[in-house]
Amino acid sequence: MSTPAMILAQDIHKRFGDLEVLKGIDAEVDEREVVCLIGPSGSGKSTLLRCMNALEKFQKGHITICGHDLTGSKTNVNEVRRDVGMVFQSFNVFPHMLVLDNLMLAPMKVLKVSKAEARERAMALLEKVGLVDKAKVYPTKLSGGQQQRVAIARALAMQPKVMLFDEPTSALDPETVGEVLEVMKALAEEGMTMMVVTHEMGFAREVADRVLFMDNGVVVEQGPPREIFDNPQHDRTRAFLSKIL
Amino acid sequence: MVTPLLSFDFGQFMPPLLRGAGVTVGLVLASGIAGTIIGVVFGIGRSAPLAPVRWLASIYTNFIRGIPILIILLFLYYEIPLLFPYATFSQTITAMIGLSVYAGAYMAEIFRGSIQAIPRGQLEAGEALGLNYLQKMRYVVLPQALKIAVPPGIGFLIALVKASSLVSVIAATDLTRAGRIITSQNHAPLATFLVVAALYFVISYPLSLLGRWYERRLA
Repeated sequence: MSTPAMILAQDIHKRFGDLEVLKGIDAEVDEREVVCLIGPSGSGKSTLLRCMNALEKFQKGHITICGHDLTGSKTNVNEVRRDVGMVFQSFNVFPHMLVLDNLMLAPMKVLKVSKAEARERAMALLEKVGLVDKAKVYPTKLSGGQQQRVAIARALAMQPKVMLFDEPTSALDPETVGEVLEVMKALAEEGMTMMVVTHEMGFAREVADRVLFMDNGVVVEQGPPREIFDNPQHDRTRAFLSKIL
Repeated sequence: MVTPLLSFDFGQFMPPLLRGAGVTVGLVLASGIAGTIIGVVFGIGRSAPLAPVRWLASIYTNFIRGIPILIILLFLYYEIPLLFPYATFSQTITAMIGLSVYAGAYMAEIFRGSIQAIPRGQLEAGEALGLNYLQKMRYVVLPQALKIAVPPGIGFLIALVKASSLVSVIAATDLTRAGRIITSQNHAPLATFLVVAALYFVISYPLSLLGRWYERRLA
């Protein structure tokens, strides 16, 4: 008897006007599992990820995440989002707030955590991502890699059950990619349930429990990283991997 | 021929002119503050998720911005006593209401633009953290939008200083009207209005400096 999946997406269809970007996606992420979504630009992987916390609406299908039914009309999306952390390609840290306040805002306003506790949590997280000395700095003074680590800590401050990563290293200088991947790897090792859209094949191979290869709005194939990277079954997967590996 | 300024009796006419300047400053301050508050409210309204709220805000801003301030002032001056027979507003209060309504529409447009200038990612980050609409506006959008709105807001206040001269037509004793009263006594319009112009400059130039200082500080 297995525990119910942390994320269960069934037959997701999504269109932007005439363009169908998701053509019936099934995906599942179990508790403590790390799933990487790979595939060419425009394949729909970011759109699928953004459906998971209702940043995108989908026209057909079902998603349950952390026990919330996203299709239910009574579902309060803000309640879903308390349980689901998200990290964006463009960091989206709040430039008008100190790093510490970036981390304290949502716990205090959404979870009604006391200021003292929010601060304690925030400092512990900054310690974890290696930025304690930047607590009283504005994020605009930080490098891209540092900003992205602040963004990860900000999402973790809500103590989410699932973390979504949308190409978290794509906007970074090559030399700061590593520090962000390290933080994500540590998080995976702690048992965080993660769904990661990425072009970092090394990370996917090393950290993912399962890799989904998407192309043109469908999941072409999925499996453990060894199988996908070393023995892909589909021509399309082979063609994609041969270009980037 | 004497220079025009020599024909202006500073000792006699400066006090009423300065009183008029005080009224102008008071009008601009009051309607600038009221207009900013109206502007924030309607600026948010124009980006509200509820369509009727957007329509209402849009009707107000577009309607007022399509009417000359002079017509707004004349309308209030003649119509308020008819609509509210028991309300007795002084001309200065009527002028203040008119300027506030006018400033509110322009400020709303400035705030609408500033709110729209906030990158989408900022809104999404707030949403992804579970902030509701009001929390997102209050803690994420508005603090950033207000900063963006300061330079055009100051630019509008400078325009408002000059637009406020139109309140003289509804007999509010501002700087312009004070000048007109004096010219009817000293018959020296050239000298008098030169002084009036100088006083307007003294009022509006510090605002320009403030705007420049703020933009340098941001850069």
